[in-house]
Amino acid sequence: MSTEEQNNVSVNLQRRKILTGATGVVGAAGATFLAVPFVSSWQPSEKAKAAGAPVNADISQLQLGQMLTVAWRGKPVWVVRRTSDMLGGLAPLDGQLRDPASLESIQPKYCQNPTRAIKDEYLVVVGICTHLGCAPLYRPAIGSPDVGADWQGGFFCPCHGSRFDLAGRVFQSVPAPTNLVIPPHHFLTDYLIRIGEGPAEGGVA
Amino acid sequence: MKQFLLILSFCMLSLSASVQASGGYGITLEPAQNNLRDQDSLKRGAILFSNYCMACHSLKYMRYNRIARNLGWDEDAIVAEMAYGQSTVYEDVTTRILPGVAMDVFGTEPPDLSLMSRLKGTDYIYSFLRGYEQNEKGEWENHVLKGTAMPNVLEGIQRHSSEEEYAEAARDITNFLDYVGEPSKIDRLDLGWKVVAFLLVLLLLAYLLKREYWKDIEH
Amino acid sequence: MSEQNKQQSTLLAWFDKRYPLISTWNKHVGEYYAPKNFNFWYFFGALALLVFVNQIVSGIWLTMSYKPSAAEAFNSIEYIMRDVQWGWLIRYMHSTGASAFFLVVYLHMMRGLLYGSYKEPRELVWLLGMMLFLVLMAEAFMGYLLPWGQMSYWGAQVIISLFGAIPVIGPDLALWVRGDFVISDVTLNRFFALHVIALPLVLVILIFMHIVALHQVGSNNPDGVEIKKYKNNKGLPIDGIAFHPYYSVKDTMGAVFFMTLFALVIFYAPEGGGYFIEAPNFEPANPLKTPDHIAPVWYFTPFYAILRAIPDKFLGVVAMGGAIAVLFAMPWLDRCKVKSIRYRGISFKILLTILVVSFVVLGWLGTQPATPELTKLAQIFTALYFMFFLVLPFTSKNEHTKPVPERVT
Repeated sequence: MSTEEQNNVSVNLQRRKILTGATGVVGAAGATFLAVPFVSSWQPSEKAKAAGAPVNADISQLQLGQMLTVAWRGKPVWVVRRTSDMLGGLAPLDGQLRDPASLESIQPKYCQNPTRAIKDEYLVVVGICTHLGCAPLYRPAIGSPDVGADWQGGFFCPCHGSRFDLAGRVFQSVPAPTNLVIPPHHFLTDYLIRIGEGPAEGGVA
Repeated sequence: MKQFLLILSFCMLSLSASVQASGGYGITLEPAQNNLRDQDSLKRGAILFSNYCMACHSLKYMRYNRIARNLGWDEDAIVAEMAYGQSTVYEDVTTRILPGVAMDVFGTEPPDLSLMSRLKGTDYIYSFLRGYEQNEKGEWENHVLKGTAMPNVLEGIQRHSSEEEYAEAARDITNFLDYVGEPSKIDRLDLGWKVVAFLLVLLLLAYLLKREYWKDIEH
Repeated sequence: MSEQNKQQSTLLAWFDKRYPLISTWNKHVGEYYAPKNFNFWYFFGALALLVFVNQIVSGIWLTMSYKPSAAEAFNSIEYIMRDVQWGWLIRYMHSTGASAFFLVVYLHMMRGLLYGSYKEPRELVWLLGMMLFLVLMAEAFMGYLLPWGQMSYWGAQVIISLFGAIPVIGPDLALWVRGDFVISDVTLNRFFALHVIALPLVLVILIFMHIVALHQVGSNNPDGVEIKKYKNNKGLPIDGIAFHPYYSVKDTMGAVFFMTLFALVIFYAPEGGGYFIEAPNFEPANPLKTPDHIAPVWYFTPFYAILRAIPDKFLGVVAMGGAIAVLFAMPWLDRCKVKSIRYRGISFKILLTILVVSFVVLGWLGTQPATPELTKLAQIFTALYFMFFLVLPFTSKNEHTKPVPERVT
């Protein structure tokens, strides 16, 4: 007869169950705590964050209708100075757009407006197509030959033909699902835009 | 069990009793008695470092924004105070001297000080900073590191301030370099006891569980 | 049986038909009968496994940010310590783990010496364990080069120079190991490959074999008696208890206790007073400047002290290698039939004490600068260390042993 069987009578199974459960739960909690450093070490490091720090775009030389590209976090960010004609052409397009009011799209709260901008004149937008990450082309002219006769000006992605208007809003029946992304930004001065940092984090809108 | 405790206490003893294995510079060092939790001291140290050390020495593993965050300093203020506005907060603390100039002037390249506190210890830095004495010929000599090419940068404070202020300046710089040597040290110390406390709870449960199961075994 | 349980057991049956899941579990855990009288010395095997897992996991994470090149290695360590989120913790887990590994393994080996676990029928368990120890030393040595600090560099310089002491082929061999005329980027890169892939793989295989060999012959115990001699009507050893749950809960307790101490070191003394991470290693490797005092990490110092004690380069290397090699021969050097120190004669007790004291003293001497007095001391203790292995075959043959109990006490 083994020792186990001899003592079976006095075994308190209830107590065993509770202790096993308690040790298991606390142990699992410990394992979860331990996983935190390992999981979060995959987050961008301080070095990556420093490299992805906000950048300033000097717009003092930007003419009406022109576009300026700056690199932020390794991505192209466009600053487009829109004419009043361009701005006026936005609202009539609403019916042809997938998300005209930018409800499904990514932009800071302060840019969720008809022109998707802090100052109507300046559109600041991440130049990466929301479909599969190509860089769309800036085609401001009405009826650009490579886009089509009915083109009202905007951005055209050559990879899969996605089209966006001059506020980066996506048209219906193209592959891109949402409007172009607006990065957090604010105006340091009238001619200096800080990209990567919203107004709340410093400066005024 | 007795043997076990003996071994354990031996291990613990050898750990705690072991002075810095690299110690023994053949000189007695003054205890720095710096306090990493004294943020004012760290800030004063950072500014002193900028004024008295950064002309030649860099902290190439330290970014301004990290210092600002850890010392509770405004990002614009740190760049203004430490770098005279000549850097962004996302850059490392670099020296102001041009490459090669120090070699011409001092005959040696001033070392980067990011890890000096871990390499030599805080007492060494404190004693070294305060180790300058003037010989009969009026030349400065350092009794901690004989023949060092480094001038007595704290001479002004040493001459014109009180002994306490002089000691405090050296202590603040040492404190700052201690922080720079391992910026996560405070986090480490603050987290440690929580981890240990948690493990002790788990240990108690594991012990009770073991005792419960081992009731089966006659011994 | 509930519907859910039935499903589970069907799944298990499906799996078990295609893979020996249940039988493997039973053989090594559920129905592995270990002696019921294990004392604390029997924690260290399981703890070694725990530390091994710690090293593998923290090591994998370190390789994600480490750069194995002479130009970037040192910087990448500081990058891990400062810029990678929680990088400092992962690095300290690994560096502290290295020392913990040796501490645990030395105590594990000590257990084997105390209770004669190397003796018949466990010779192969011992040999596999010794091979593990040897590979572990290589693993630790190569890992120590990776931070590319001054101690990393000069420690590796000294050890690789040892190969140069071998007659005829020595210099060519040292050159081949380095892959360059000095320790360089090339050396670092190949050590990295061996440290993170080759040797861990060898360790995994050896650990597997070590455990399989142990379970084939069964565990020894502090009384050094075979529990398989007395079995109950089910054919199970009377003094044996199932590994699970009895030793699984006990080892869990030991593991948590160990982790508590481990956490104390990681959080409050990660440099281990300059023994776990040596201060000169906070300075990047500089081939033109030797640090004032080079000492290997503490776990190598006993062997290093033996090396330095011999005033001849080649013989020093031989003595150092011999100090490890003789341990392999323990099963045959010890000719006493009694296993446990509890029932062995006074001669073995004295000899073992001398061995342990010599090892510890040599370990301390290895950390100190070699002054003439200390070298003399190192020579005495080197002699005492080897005396153990020379004298043992003679004293153990006709040892005055105490009567060994029939069953465990």
